Amino acid sequence: MFTVFSSIHSMAFEAVWAYKLRSFFVVLGVALGIASLTLIIMSVDGANRKAMEIVEMFGPDAAFVLGGNFKKRAAGMRTLTLSHEDATRIRQSLPGAYLVVPMRAQVGRTVKYRNKNYQDVFIVGATENYGQVWNWPLVEGRDIRPEDEQAGARVALVGDKPARELFGEESPVGKIIFIKDIPFQVVGRLAHRGGAGGGDPNNRIIIPLSTLTRRFNMDRKYFRALRVKFYEPEYMDAHIENLRLLLRHLHKLKPEEDDDFTILTADEVLKFLSVFKGGLTIFLGVTATIAMLVGGFVLANLFTISVSERCEEIGLKRALGAHRSAIMFQFLMEASLLTLLGGFLGLALGYGLGKFLSRLDILTIQFSWKVFGMAMFSSLAVGLVFGLKPARHAAGLDPIRALKGEG
Amino acid sequence: MTSAISLENITKTFWQEPRKNGDSSEGRRGVHVLKGISLEIARGEFMALQGTSGSGKSTLLQIIGLLDRATSGSYRLLGHDAQGLDDDAQSDLRNQALGFIFQSFYLIPYATALENVVLPGLYSHTPRSELRRRAAELLERVGLGDRMDFRPAGLSGGQQQRVAMARALLNEPDIILADEPTGQLDSRTSREIMALFQDVNESGKTIVLVTHDEEVARVAQRTVHLADGKIV
Repeated sequence: MFTVFSSIHSMAFEAVWAYKLRSFFVVLGVALGIASLTLIIMSVDGANRKAMEIVEMFGPDAAFVLGGNFKKRAAGMRTLTLSHEDATRIRQSLPGAYLVVPMRAQVGRTVKYRNKNYQDVFIVGATENYGQVWNWPLVEGRDIRPEDEQAGARVALVGDKPARELFGEESPVGKIIFIKDIPFQVVGRLAHRGGAGGGDPNNRIIIPLSTLTRRFNMDRKYFRALRVKFYEPEYMDAHIENLRLLLRHLHKLKPEEDDDFTILTADEVLKFLSVFKGGLTIFLGVTATIAMLVGGFVLANLFTISVSERCEEIGLKRALGAHRSAIMFQFLMEASLLTLLGGFLGLALGYGLGKFLSRLDILTIQFSWKVFGMAMFSSLAVGLVFGLKPARHAAGLDPIRALKGEG
Repeated sequence: MTSAISLENITKTFWQEPRKNGDSSEGRRGVHVLKGISLEIARGEFMALQGTSGSGKSTLLQIIGLLDRATSGSYRLLGHDAQGLDDDAQSDLRNQALGFIFQSFYLIPYATALENVVLPGLYSHTPRSELRRRAAELLERVGLGDRMDFRPAGLSGGQQQRVAMARALLNEPDIILADEPTGQLDSRTSREIMALFQDVNESGKTIVLVTHDEEVARVAQRTVHLADGKIV
């Protein structure tokens, strides 16, 4: 059986090669379909992964408050609306909240250690227990402590990226680094965290918030974001409503006025992502289906023409002893060879496009064997399904009439 | 073990579909192409079937070659009841016991001479290396040892027919069936091809050859004349 299989296989390849232009169109159609399919699966998987990371990073018990209303985005609206006053009041009077951490950051700072420079680091200001607040474990050293914050101490917690760049295999703990010519002592190192598109989260250094505002001349009253963690995450909705009402009260908003802040929770982000995912799936799904159908019909059409053009060949093979099944097998082989080729090209195309889009931060993609399997399976299925009718027709031809060219 | 081919009272009727313009009284009309052919062909015999166009000689050859079924009568091919075999069994017999040579060669245009000769072997579970060895040997034998990698378009008519002969011999069949093998060749090339047929016959193969050409028929040991569906 294997010899027959391999012989027919190689003949199928020769036949495909002999009818290049026709084959090209089939391959093209299937490739476009598979490219869309690949993109769908990869981006849905990517979105799922990102969602999981966000939930993990956020923690189910945390809310993130941003200055300004992102949903309304009224022109000229202030985005610096969260003050230290707000943070203090929330800490004092919001029931269920056990952690209230204002966040500020500096981007694109250069960090020095001895003679080494490392550019473009994200400097984050944090009050205390950064690792606990962000569910981000430390691999060595200690976290930022309340006394660091009170004293405006020059201590730093380094992310995985700058730690590697500056210290290599060496332990950074206890070393002195310079940020904007200000010396900081490294007290701890964060664990590596997988990237979720849009910049490497490991590329950061955490210093006490008070140190950040004082040393880097930042606005002392307002900050951009606030992180709040709650006990009993099962009452998250109630917690969020309390937080919202408290902030409205603190900002002295009248009932008819919109919020001048935005509260995000893991749930909220997931909702947004699933809407995004749904839209993407529908858009690309329709594209993929159309492209695959077009590819399939082109295939069926071209193979019907091919069968009638190659009547003689079919008649001859039957005369030389080919069973009907061998003829059918040959055409199905040719069809699936083409669609599989289209599948490979489509996979490469979809993957390339996905990479490109993810580099532009439009999509997060995730490549897996599932993507590969689905692409190959669907292209094979297109070949077999749309190739079946012409293949059956070819197999059913009367040898004599076929030899005379009467398909 | 006397006859390679044994035909008894073979008839063939082609049915024409009634015209669809409402005139149904006529019904289906049959065209009787063969009207009771009985014929014995011995093993190793070289027989020519002669007749004018429309005499039924090609239809008879197709029935002998299991490419068509007789309407009635009995046909024994190398001891098998050929009429009663199913499609796959007939295919296997065509593959193993019969070798075909056609007027218009029927070579696959995108395959080389060697690949064309190998073709019947692809349906016979023979290792490919063995097939290529045998095919090369046969091409050598028909005088095309230096043209193995040529595609049909690069070969003359006579050379193409030689490739077809090598192909017919690949599975070492007992019987060679040829339908006007020299019909598209000039007379000098025809003579060369017929010499090759004689050579094949002398190696022990039974040959049934359809022709309308007296000169070609003369190479055979026996000539059977067909006219209007009957042996005359």
